[in-house]
Formats: sequence, C-alpha cells, structure tokens
Amino acid sequence: MNMVEQKYQLIPGVELRKGSNVMIYGPTFSGKAMFAKSTFRKLINSNYGGIYVLTRETAEQLIEWLGNDYNPNKVKIIDCVTKSMTGEAKDTASIKRVTVMDLTGISAKISKFFEEFWRSGVKDVILVFDSLSTLLMYLNIQTVFRFLHILTGRVKMTGAIAFYIVEEGMHDEKTIVTLKQLFNGMIEFKEENGKKYVRFVSSLVKTEWFEIVVDENSVVIA
Amino acid sequence: MKAVTGIPVLDEVVEEFPESKTLTYWIDPEVEGNAFAMQTIYTNLERGFKCAYVTVTISPESVISEFEEFGWEVKEFENFEIVDLYSSYVGFPSKCKYNANPINLEEVEVLMKKVLEKFDIVFLPASSIIDVCGEEALRCIKDWCSLAKSIGKRVVLSFVAWPYSKEVKDGIIEISNALVKVGGIHHRVILGYYYGLVKADWKNVKSRAILFKLVRPGGVRAYIPKILVTGPYNAGKSSFVHAISNRAVSVDRLGTTVALDHGHLEYKGFSIDLFGTPGQERFDPILRMLGKEALGVILVVDSTKPETFPRAKQMLESVTHFGLPYVVAANKQDLPNALPPEEIKRRMVLPNDVPVIPISAVKGEGVYKVIDALLDLLIWREGEDELEI
Ligand SMILES: Nc1nc2c(ncn2[C@@H]2O[C@H](COP(=O)(O)OP(=O)(O)OP(=O)(O)O)[C@@H](O)[C@H]2O)c(=O)[nH]1
Ligand SMILES: [Mg+2]
Repeated sequence: MNMVEQKYQLIPGVELRKGSNVMIYGPTFSGKAMFAKSTFRKLINSNYGGIYVLTRETAEQLIEWLGNDYNPNKVKIIDCVTKSMTGEAKDTASIKRVTVMDLTGISAKISKFFEEFWRSGVKDVILVFDSLSTLLMYLNIQTVFRFLHILTGRVKMTGAIAFYIVEEGMHDEKTIVTLKQLFNGMIEFKEENGKKYVRFVSSLVKTEWFEIVVDENSVVIA
Repeated sequence: MKAVTGIPVLDEVVEEFPESKTLTYWIDPEVEGNAFAMQTIYTNLERGFKCAYVTVTISPESVISEFEEFGWEVKEFENFEIVDLYSSYVGFPSKCKYNANPINLEEVEVLMKKVLEKFDIVFLPASSIIDVCGEEALRCIKDWCSLAKSIGKRVVLSFVAWPYSKEVKDGIIEISNALVKVGGIHHRVILGYYYGLVKADWKNVKSRAILFKLVRPGGVRAYIPKILVTGPYNAGKSSFVHAISNRAVSVDRLGTTVALDHGHLEYKGFSIDLFGTPGQERFDPILRMLGKEALGVILVVDSTKPETFPRAKQMLESVTHFGLPYVVAANKQDLPNALPPEEIKRRMVLPNDVPVIPISAVKGEGVYKVIDALLDLLIWREGEDELEI
C-alpha cells in the first residue's frame, strides 16, 4: 500500500509502506517538526489513529495547534515536558505524562495506545516522536538504541508508520550511523541561501532535493 | 511479622520474602511493570519494615505521585525514604536526605552502603541504573546485593528486559534469588499482561502465568481471561461450552441460544470464563460489551455443513476487526460425513497459522486441545510449557 503518497504528496515518488520507521533529519528550523505535524494532521483526518510523543512542547500546545482536528479518540499524546517542568499534571485517557528519561514509561504507554487503537478497530496508526535528540541529551546512544529497537519492532508488527525527528549537528557521526540502522529511510531537510529543501533517502532510493515552503501550518513543495 | 512480596497468588506460592534475598521483577519493556516493586515496597511498609526506594529516571515527586495513584500514601510512612539519583543528574537541587549523582558511581556506592545498612528492604531500578551509568554499573548492583545478603537485608530489583548484552542478563539472573517474569501477551499489539514465578531459591516451586491488570487505586490485580465462543447457528457452541466447563449455563429457547452461554473453566492454573454467543445474531455488540476483557475467540463450525462456512468466515471478520487471536474448532467429527480439519481450512481460506482443531463437543473429544491451542497463541511460545526468561 502506498497510503502516504496517495494522501500526502510531499515528496514525489516516495512510497511509505505500512510498518515503516522513518527518520526526519535536518538542521533546526528547517521544517522537520512542521512536516511531521502536518503529516500527522493529514493522516488523522483520513482515519488514522495518531500517537504523538512530545519532548519539546506540551500536550496543550499540540492540541492548540491541531485546533478542530483534535479528537481525543484519535489523537493520543505522550507528553514528556510537563512532568519534567512542574511534576504536577493529571493524566487522562488520551494524554499521558512522563519524564523524558523514563523510557519504560514511554514504551509502556505507547504500547497501551497501540492496543487501544487495535481493539477499537483502528488498524492504521501514525506515530511521531519529536525528538530523539532530546532523549540523547539525557541518555547514551546504547540506551536509546535498545529503546528504539523495541519501538521500531512494534511499529513494524502493527503496520503503523512512524517518524522520528533527529536534529542535525547535535550528534556525532557514530550516533547518526547507529540510529540509521533502525530506520527504513530518512526524510532529510536542508537550508541553503535562505531556501529550504527536502529529499528522501533510503538504501534503495534517493530523490532529488525539492524546494519547500514552510509556514505555521504546513510544509509544501514550492 | 515476616516480609512478603505483596503480589496476589505469588505470596501463596513463595510464602514469604526472607531476609538476605534478592527478588527481581523481570519486565517486558512494553509492559507497565513498575507497580510490582512498588506494591512489594508498600506492602512491607505497612508491615513496619524500613524501606528505601531508589530512583534514577523519575523525579522523587513523580515517584510519590505514582505511589499515590495506586492509593499508596507513602508520604505518611516514617519508615519510607526515597534515594534520589535523579535530581542532580538533571541539574536540580535534591530535596531528599539520601541523594547522589549517578554519573559519579563512587559517590553512589558510598551512599548505597549507608542505605543498605539503615534499611530492611531496598528497591533498585537495575535497568535504569544500567541505562544511565552504563553496563559497568552491573558490578555495583552485584556488590549491593552481596552486601545485603551478608547483613540480612532484602533487595527488590526491577529489571526491564531491553535488548541488553547476555552478560547483563545473566548477571541479573545470577544475583536474583527469586525471579518473577512480568510479560505481555503479544499479538501484533500487546493484548494483555501476565506474571509468573520463574524461580525462588527458598521454595522449590514455579507458577504458571497469571493474567493481571493494574488498577488505580489498587495495584496489581489478577483477573480472569474471557474467551468468546462463536460460530454459525447450530454449530455446537453451547455443547462446546458445556463440555468444557466446570459449571455452565445457557439461556436456550427451542434448542437455540437466545442469550449468552456462560461457562467457567479451571485449567492449567488458569481461571477462564467462556462466553458462547447466539448463532443467529450479530455478535459485534457482545464483543464490544466484553470489550477490553476478551483475550481470544473460539470459532465453532459444524464440519458436516460446508454451506455454513461463509457465515463462519464472515463472523471472523468481526473478530479480526477487534484484533483478537482465534482458533477454529471443527465440531461434529463423530459424524461420518465430517470434513477433515485441513479441508475446512482450505474451504474457509484460513491463513496457515490458524489452528483448526478437530473435536466432538457431544463426546467431549478434543475440546481441551482447543483451549491449549488458544493458550499457546496467547501466552506460551512455541514448545514452551512453563515460564522462561
Ligand atoms: N453428532 C454431534 N452433534 C453435535 C455435536 N455438537 C453439537 N451437536 C448437536 O448439534 C445441535 C446444536 O448444538 P448446540 O450446542 O445447541 O449448538 P449452538 O451452536 O449452541 O446452536 P445455536 O445456539 O442455536 O446457534 C444439537 O442437537 C447438538 O446435540 C457433536 O460434536 N456431534
Ligand atoms: Mg447455543
């Protein structure tokens, strides 16, 4: 199946199969997070269940951005920010808060959300992890790798699609190489002479760079 | 008063948590298993033991609120202390009397010696310590367990079984006097959770898997899995439920079921509830009613009536919609014109890995094989008959 291409033609010619784990890679402010968010929005609007893991903004901020597209039955959030800041925050059925170092908590909560979607007949799920770079600020690559080994396996098993954001320039080459082993491909962003570009790279394909325009709500090919 | 694990069923099996012992909860990384150690600690606080709870990846405030979510007001216990290895790691000043920075293992070692001397029971998040300090921290964990052993203290370890090296896993197994596996029932997603005793060196026993739920407030609660028995009209669903149950009731009118069949089965250490659906109705609402409780489905077909297979197949669509694993019971095998299981599988175009079990519900033949096949799908891995790490 070729769901993403059918419904979201960001990168022409790119097929994202179900069960794909994709790294979203590029420098700060290159449009990575907006790409992930707006793809997330598109997919939940075409009957996907969505799971968002946040380490850089709170659940409330994401909900505000989603506006009318927010529906707690379809959008499940793991907020790793609020608890690290205040320690006080109530969980709901669709919003769970953990500290960012608590990989066990994150993992168990993601798997619970997968179960809930599965049991309610929602078989298509998009997961966004924003971002692995935050995890790597607190935990070493071996630890993060073990965590991702389990998570990417689950994504594959359930046939979901998952995006993992990684900041370019924050990690050494070895870390990036280690991470890449876990993913089916990479959506790469760059900025050059004030213009932004995106391309898709995997072991099988490498598209050309496409110029993009990023605003507060979307990322579109120029 | 003696110390206990505080976990249902487990305490009946191990009887106590003796001094100088290390009790390890070996947890599937996708299962919320922290509650086990918390329940052990809380139960023993209530019994008057001095307990220390080490935290590395969660703030002390969050640890307390996690306890409180389960209804365990640890703050009210003077015999409770948090050992904070979190705050200084993330750069906050610690409010706990016992604290250290895990980056500095020597500092932690000094602190832990003090803690082990002062407290009766110490909780260590072994895998989190390894995650933060690296695999070399295994040596420290080993040292703390031996120290505890030599001075008559108890250690509770939680070990989240991420894909660590064999040395780490073996090391943890080696230092554990008792090992409790906390696992998930994997079926594309995780449909349920179980735990069971793998070993306890003060008792020569093992337990089978016990399904559990986390209840807030309440903690770890064993529960009874619900299995749905469905199939076309007259296939033998009620007969199956009656053949297999220790006790069963059906609400039938003119020989057909008008409400649910209900049976209860005690089998291989499991307590299982069976629900038979009326054959003439859509059973989506029933599946919805059993909701999160249902763990699997038994589809009963009349092996002499291939004309009912399309209906049976249609019923399976709902089952897959709800994401549940299923087995097929090829009933009425005692009749001369019964089709063999392979033929039924072929005609129904079932995936290869779906078990089709030949049975005769009226004669009671093969019926337990159906339960075995479902338990195999749910809990045991291939060839496995008891809990293994
Ligand atoms: N020969 C034979 N007859 C069976 C067997 N199992 C059930 N029957 C007969 O098949 C008929 C239907 O059995 P039930 O158990 O009532 O079937 P059911 O699926 O509950 O039927 P509904 O609730 O009406 O859908 C009865 O006459 C049973 O005696 C079997 O293994 N062999
Ligand atoms: Mg009946």
